[in-house]
Amino acid sequence: MTGKTARLIFWLGTLISAAIFLWMTYDFHLQTPKYTHTDKLSEEVVAGKKVWHKYNCNDCHTILGFGGYYAPDMTKAFYRLGENNIASIVQHPEVMYKNSFRKMPQLGITEPETRQLIAFLRWTAEIDNRKWPPQDEKFVEAYKLRESQPQKLDKVHLVLQACGGCHTFEHQGRNVGGDLTEIANRITYDRQTLINYMINPQSVRPGVTMPPQDVSLQTAGTIADFLLSLKSHKEVSQ
Amino acid sequence: MKTIEFESQRVSLWYFRLALVLFILQVIMGLWLSINYAFTLPQELVNVFPFSTAREIHTNTLVAWMLLGFMGGTYYILPPECDRELYSTKIAYLQLIIFVAAAVTAVIGFLFGWTRGKPLLEIPFPLNALIVVAALLFIANVAMTIMKAKVKTALQWMLLGGVTFLALMYLFGMPFYRNLNTDYYYWWWVIHLWVEGAWEIVTASIMAYIIMRVTGVERQVVEKWLYVETGLFLFTGIVGTGHHYYWIGAPDYWLWWGGIFSALEPLPIVLMVVDTWMHVRERRNPIVNPLTWYYIVGLAIYHLVGAGLWGFMHTLPPVNRYTHGSQITVSHGHLAFFGAYALLNLTIFYFAMPRLKGITKYHDTAGRWGFWITTIAMFTLGLVFGIAGILQTYLERFLDIGYSTAQQTMMLWFRIAFGVGLIFLGGVLTTIWHLFTLKPSDKQPAEEVVVTPAANI
Repeated sequence: MTGKTARLIFWLGTLISAAIFLWMTYDFHLQTPKYTHTDKLSEEVVAGKKVWHKYNCNDCHTILGFGGYYAPDMTKAFYRLGENNIASIVQHPEVMYKNSFRKMPQLGITEPETRQLIAFLRWTAEIDNRKWPPQDEKFVEAYKLRESQPQKLDKVHLVLQACGGCHTFEHQGRNVGGDLTEIANRITYDRQTLINYMINPQSVRPGVTMPPQDVSLQTAGTIADFLLSLKSHKEVSQ
Repeated sequence: MKTIEFESQRVSLWYFRLALVLFILQVIMGLWLSINYAFTLPQELVNVFPFSTAREIHTNTLVAWMLLGFMGGTYYILPPECDRELYSTKIAYLQLIIFVAAAVTAVIGFLFGWTRGKPLLEIPFPLNALIVVAALLFIANVAMTIMKAKVKTALQWMLLGGVTFLALMYLFGMPFYRNLNTDYYYWWWVIHLWVEGAWEIVTASIMAYIIMRVTGVERQVVEKWLYVETGLFLFTGIVGTGHHYYWIGAPDYWLWWGGIFSALEPLPIVLMVVDTWMHVRERRNPIVNPLTWYYIVGLAIYHLVGAGLWGFMHTLPPVNRYTHGSQITVSHGHLAFFGAYALLNLTIFYFAMPRLKGITKYHDTAGRWGFWITTIAMFTLGLVFGIAGILQTYLERFLDIGYSTAQQTMMLWFRIAFGVGLIFLGGVLTTIWHLFTLKPSDKQPAEEVVVTPAANI
């Protein structure tokens, strides 16, 4: 090979690749409104993104798979956890993770900031990113199903998606609030108390760390039935 | 024997020394991160010094000592390559002071929560502006030295092109992007086009120079390889950026373009291994310092394994879907940064520092220990992170077990990683101690036939 050929390889390789890349960058900008529905990119979402940066969330949590691997991915966190759980975790991590092997710092995030952060995470969760991360897709589907047709849900499915953000069931879900089978065997509440507990935990057990759940009465009823059916000697009071 | 040809090469010594100090800080922070993974820390401690702060120090000191090494290395090779003194040593020192002042302020700022919260690019705007000033001074100094040189070589232009490309890409990380997806699109213009673009060009150029110097192989041959390698690096690497765009919400064609081009990225690295190996075999100079040659060959092989092989394993979309954002990325990140860039910097230091101290042949017992301990420990660490990553991928993404449960199952490997990290720190301290206290060997070699680059055209 002559020096001239080598130079030609350098310039051709570089310029061809750069041209393809710049063209695709142009197309990326044309298509981004569709993939990230920029019409919903409100000022509150942008404010939430600033909160995300301000507290350096991204150096522990990944988002879109990028960042620190120390804590769960936040891309679909809105579907996985829901609004109330995110708010409780963000504002009271020392309580939520009291028994956890890994801690989240108390960052002093204010209430307005929490709302903005949730708006940002909601917008992020809606990015059409080829259903990544794969393990969170069940939460996305469940969320959408819960919203559209709650009456058609399989009970296990429903319970896991609604409670799986904090509770485990048969080794699935995040173990923050304990295993559902264990809880079912421990509690002595009747169906109505359980429903009240889910919707406003403080009204049943003041001081408990579980946040209020944003579920309909009907869904809460289904979950309560399911929980009570888990009791090992089936003392289900109808 | 004259060890350095030009007085202004001496500016590089301070770049190297400060780079090594930052390297120690980086590894200590890495160990602290490892403790965070392996043990449960009290909430009070996590509140004041969270993982996120330690991680930003770990990654920013990494970038800082890499850049210091590249800049120092450039200042070291430029005078003999241009056959004249640097345009200005004052600019070189001023630029170093600005850069280090910004870096130190950044680290202290991080401890108090002064951050942009954007991984690897956390430095707040005023400090970023200082970095830009330092980079402009550097590029101006390099460009002026090259322009005023009587001899013109391909290597000079390649080096100038590489550092300019590097500085230019940094600008894309500076604005605030409202859209997260666009934010990460341009984040990779900095990170990917650095490590798989600009930095590779700087590496190829500096290594071409060092190989030419120590082996005495003809310039035409080395420069031909340099053109082909950098051409292939840029051809595969630029479109290869697409392998970061699979899951950010971007059109489907990225899967194909990103996948295919990034799968070709190991090719130029294979060429680098072949060319290093051939030049070492066809050397015209005797081996004076075996350890420097260890680093040259070690860099070529480790670069191929860490960046090439490890990257190739999970660059294709069907694999990447499951490994993306897991400990597998951690494994690849460590092996690639260490294999390609930490070893490049150490090669530069082992090439330049003895010469700067007027030593032809140095005593290398401690240095050899350092070489083997760091390279083996880091490779082990890569394997340990890799095992943790495979576990995580399988548990979390195939068995559908939650994040925390999966992480607890991986705990054994996090603890092993901490142990290996301690050994790595030992190796790093040995290497750095050796570099700071280089002593002439008792057995001085016969006069070397020096083929000075400027004469070798």
